[in-house]
Amino acid sequence: MAEQERRDPIITIDSVSKSFAGGIEAVRGFSATVERQEVVVIMGPSGSGKSTLLRCLNGLEHVDSGSITVDGIPLDDDRHHRLEIRKEVGMVFQSFNLFHNMTVLDNCVVGQMKVRQRSRAEAEEKARYYLDKVGLLAYVDARPRQISGGQKQRVAIARALAMDPEVLLFDEPTSALDPETVGEVLEVMRDLAGEQITMLVVTHEMAFARDVSQRVFFMHDGVIHEEGSPESIFERPEKQETQEFLSRFLAR
Amino acid sequence: MAASARPTIWARFVRSPWRDILQFVLLVALVVWLVTQSSARLGYNWQWYRVPRYLWQVREGGVQSGALLEGLGFTLRISLVSLICSLALGLLVALLRLSDSFMGRLLSRAYLEVIRNTPLVVQMYLAYFVAGPILGIGRFASAVLALSLFEGSYMSEIFRAGITSLHRGQWEAAYSLGLSTVDTYRDVILPQALRRLLPPLTGEIISLIKNTSLVSLVSLADLSMQARVVAADTFLTFEVWFTTALLYLAIMIPLALLARWLERHYTLLT
Repeated sequence: MAEQERRDPIITIDSVSKSFAGGIEAVRGFSATVERQEVVVIMGPSGSGKSTLLRCLNGLEHVDSGSITVDGIPLDDDRHHRLEIRKEVGMVFQSFNLFHNMTVLDNCVVGQMKVRQRSRAEAEEKARYYLDKVGLLAYVDARPRQISGGQKQRVAIARALAMDPEVLLFDEPTSALDPETVGEVLEVMRDLAGEQITMLVVTHEMAFARDVSQRVFFMHDGVIHEEGSPESIFERPEKQETQEFLSRFLAR
Repeated sequence: MAASARPTIWARFVRSPWRDILQFVLLVALVVWLVTQSSARLGYNWQWYRVPRYLWQVREGGVQSGALLEGLGFTLRISLVSLICSLALGLLVALLRLSDSFMGRLLSRAYLEVIRNTPLVVQMYLAYFVAGPILGIGRFASAVLALSLFEGSYMSEIFRAGITSLHRGQWEAAYSLGLSTVDTYRDVILPQALRRLLPPLTGEIISLIKNTSLVSLVSLADLSMQARVVAADTFLTFEVWFTTALLYLAIMIPLALLARWLERHYTLLT
C-alpha cells in the first residue's frame, strides 16, 4: 500500500457497481487504480463487465454506486466535471463511430474546435499531425464510407488523440475488423504506448497485451478476478477461471 | 421464318420508348373520352375561352392577375409561413420528446395526441373563433396557427423517427469527445437525420399545401375559395375546377422534383 501511495494514480475506481434494466449487474463493486502513463489491458469472457466498466470511466454510463476520480476530478452528476473528464479521456469504439456526415479531417477537427476552443487552422494542423501519425494523411478529404475498417479505426484513434487526452480508452478496437487490417491498428496502438499517455485497453489480443501492457486485469462477474503483470497472468495464472479463459484463447 | 420474325418485332417494341409513349397516349385518350362522354351526357357546354380572364386580365396596358392567380398567390403565401412555423414547431417537439426532461416529454406527448386525434377542420374553427379573440390575432394568423399546430405534430414524428434511426454510436462518439448535446445535434445528428427524413418530410409538406384549402372555412381567399366563387359566378364548373387542380399540381410537381434533387445531393455528401 505504501508503495502505491507514493505513485501518481490518474484513475481511481472505488467499489463501482452498475446494473442494467432487467437486473443484470454488469459491474459489481469494482476497485482499481491506474497510474499515469500506464498501459492496462482488461481481459475476460464476454459479459464480464469490461466494456461497461470502460464506458463508466468517461460517463457514457452512470454508475449506480461507488466513485470514479480521473486526474483529480470526481465523476459525479456535475455537468462540468463530466465535461472536464471527457476532455481528458478519449475513447476508441469497437464500431469506430466516425461521423458519417464529415470528412476524415473534419472528424478530427470538430471536437477540437467545439470543446478545446481551437481555431480551425490550429485544429486542422493538429488533425493533420495525428492523421499523418496513423498513416492516413492522404485520406483527409475522404468520407468514412470510402475507407476500410482498419483505416476507420485509425481515424478514430487520430480523432481521440487530437483532443490531447491524458487517458485513452479502447473498447475492443480490433474486434470488428477484418483479420488483415487488425495488424495496422495494433501497430498504431503499440506506437502510442511509448508516448506519455495512459491507456486502458479491452482486448483479446494476447500478443499486444504481453508486449505492450504493464498490467493485465482479468475480469470475471463484474470484478477483477486476477491481476498482475502480463507475464504472471499468462504464464502463471492462479485462478481457475483465468486458466480456462486463457486456454480457450491460446488454443485458437 | 415469319414465326421467328414476329416475336423479334414484338420484343423490340416492348423495349423501345414507343411502348411507354403509346401507353401514355392511350391513357390520355381514355381520360379525354371519359370526360367528354360524361359532359355530353350532362349536356355540358365547354367554354374554355372564358377561363383565361380569371387567370389574368389585360387592363390599361398592364397585365393583372385574375381571381384564380390571386388565390394561388395567397395559397403560396400561407403555405410558406405555415411551413416555416410547422418545421420549427415539429423540430422543437421532437427534441423535447427525446430530451431528459420529464415535463418536456409529457408536454410533447400530450400535444401530439391531442392534435393528431382531432380533425383539422375543428382546429381551424377553434383557432379562429376561440384562440383568435383571446390572443387578439386576425384571420390569417389564426389559420397559420391551426395549420402549423396540425402539421407540426406530424412533422415532429418524422423528425423523431429520423433522429432515432441513427446509430447510438454517433451520440457516444460525440459525447466522448466532450461535445454538448446542442453541438451534437447541430454538427452530427441533424445533418445525418435530414437525408433520411427528407422523403417523408416532402410528403408532409405536400399535405400541408393541400390542407391550406381548408382556410376557406374561415373566409380566407385562397385558391380553392376563389375557384368556388368563380365557379358559382360563371357556371364554368368543369373548366374552373380542372384549372384549379392544374394550378395545385403546378406547385407540387416542382416541389417533389426539388426534394428528389436534395435527396440525391445529400446522399452524395454522406
